[in-house]
Amino acid sequence: MRNLATTGVALAVLLLCPAAGSATGLATCESGPQSGWQSQDALTKHLLKLGWREVRRMKVDGNCYEVYGMNENNRPTEAYFHPVTLQHIMTTQR
Amino acid sequence: MQGIKVWDLLVRVLHWSLLATIVGAWLTRDGGDIRHVQFGYAALAIVAVRFIWGFIGSRHARFVDFVRSPSATFAYLKAVIAHREPRHVGHNPLGGWMILLLLATVAGICLTGWLYTTDAYWGVAWVGELHEALTDLLIVLVALHVIGVVFTSIRQKENLVKAMVTGTKQSTEHATTGGLSNQEPLSNQER
Repeated sequence: MRNLATTGVALAVLLLCPAAGSATGLATCESGPQSGWQSQDALTKHLLKLGWREVRRMKVDGNCYEVYGMNENNRPTEAYFHPVTLQHIMTTQR
Repeated sequence: MQGIKVWDLLVRVLHWSLLATIVGAWLTRDGGDIRHVQFGYAALAIVAVRFIWGFIGSRHARFVDFVRSPSATFAYLKAVIAHREPRHVGHNPLGGWMILLLLATVAGICLTGWLYTTDAYWGVAWVGELHEALTDLLIVLVALHVIGVVFTSIRQKENLVKAMVTGTKQSTEHATTGGLSNQEPLSNQER
């Protein structure tokens, strides 16, 4: 029963730990301090100019902007952009 | 000491396969992995079958066997603190509420996840944030569930994890058989 208790506590700790993590490791940008970044609004405008139909959600992941929206073909799209240059890094289509 | 059948085969298969789909979905959560969606559909199907089984399943699988009123649940908690809680062959009142919470939370995660796959709700912040918040809640609930199982195993000197694998528990004269009868020792102690 002692074994069971140890296993249980270890499992509980293991389960709780990853909840704190945030970076997915899918993409990384060398983008320096956030003070030098372009705003999320600037990226939204840039993407709409490129033909995106809609920008719905933006997060920071691996020091990149992670954008959810509908692309130029009105397809659901998740893509990463460099916050300083607004350069396209990668796309994960759902 | 004789074994008594408590958890039917379907309850056990659903329990461990739900765990597998949750772990699978957690591991495939990033980067639009199609398996994440598949694990989600599987989890939702498991929760749906378990819900139906909660009405037509074997004795201890049914909600009526383990869902107790808040006052009875609180009385059980007080009994636990006082080291005089009765043994429940099926779920005890606290465990019963945990089952409901776990099933409802998994269902909520699956539904918000599915919503996120539709064109209309793709990338809509509140859907994604709710999906993630419910997942954080599930992690806390699972941890509490495991702690509760370990705690009760030690208190009752019976490996409850093993019972969820084999389906059988030891039969002792202290055992209340669950169902309506297990309310009696509780209400006696309340007085």
